[in-house]
Amino acid sequence: MAVDLSMPVLVVDDYQTMIRIIRNLLTQIGFRNIEEAKDGRQALEKMHGAKFGLVISDWNMEPMTGFELLQQVRASEALKATPFIMITAESKTENVIAAKKAGVNNYIVKPFNAETLKSKVKAVLGDF
Amino acid sequence: MAASEAALKIRTAIDTLKSSGVRERPLVEVLGLSHQMADAMQAFFGSLDRSIISEFQYIANYIQKTRDEISGLQPNDIGNARIPDASQQLDAVVRDTERATETIMSEAEMVMNREPTDLASYKAEVDAAMLRMFEACSFQDLTGQRIRKVISTLRHIEDRVSRFAGALGVQDSSAAETAEEKRNRELILNGPAMNGPATSQDDIDALFA
Repeated sequence: MAVDLSMPVLVVDDYQTMIRIIRNLLTQIGFRNIEEAKDGRQALEKMHGAKFGLVISDWNMEPMTGFELLQQVRASEALKATPFIMITAESKTENVIAAKKAGVNNYIVKPFNAETLKSKVKAVLGDF
Repeated sequence: MAASEAALKIRTAIDTLKSSGVRERPLVEVLGLSHQMADAMQAFFGSLDRSIISEFQYIANYIQKTRDEISGLQPNDIGNARIPDASQQLDAVVRDTERATETIMSEAEMVMNREPTDLASYKAEVDAAMLRMFEACSFQDLTGQRIRKVISTLRHIEDRVSRFAGALGVQDSSAAETAEEKRNRELILNGPAMNGPATSQDDIDALFA
């Protein structure tokens, strides 16, 4: 079954330019309903208020990191099934393994290109 | 010789002279007692002077050396000129890159959202947008120069601090972990790696295959 491109996608990053880049790339793919949050705490508040079909999050943010957001999402009965992609400059193997253990669906290391984002979203959600 | 020991010897010698009556004693005996007193005093004051003078000399030399090294650090030049200048240069780098990014992204978004209904006007708009993007990229030349100035300042400070630490034989003490270091360790915040990602996207993909 093809992915519903009208599903809400939440992009979490403390750097507005990166949010803008990801938003433009997702728009190019065809997603039409893109929300933003500037850190894990704000993202969690938004997730408790609305259902998102995908979360794309940075790791290094304050006061709540993307890793903490992932842990909170996976610990919540209501949110734990939400697909979660980490996009981050944290590229040490220990980071990738920790995120995988915490339940991340895929991991993109910065800097990335449009094709990488597209292929990871496809790998997590299925064909567009 | 300890002060109490010297005082005791002197007191004993004086008491001996007083009680025996100097006139009735042979001169040799009086001289012997005098020598004994003189030796005791010389030994006491000699040792006292040498140790104190040598201690004060050492402290004075160390203070002078420290003053010379601190002066060599040029702390006023670093604190009043070099660090504020480096800070301003970095602020300018952030400002220039933000401005350039904003221009490039706005132009790209404009092109992406424009419908090519009239090909001639569409091409003219795209060409103009591309030129503005090229112009915005000129920030790189300026930021490169600014960052080189900051690097030069850091090297200047590193050089002087290393020389200072070497001259005074300063050893690093073990510092307690700061709150920020603790947070970074617990939340696995390593930051970007030098010379590209520490783990390639292909290796990450293999972990998720």
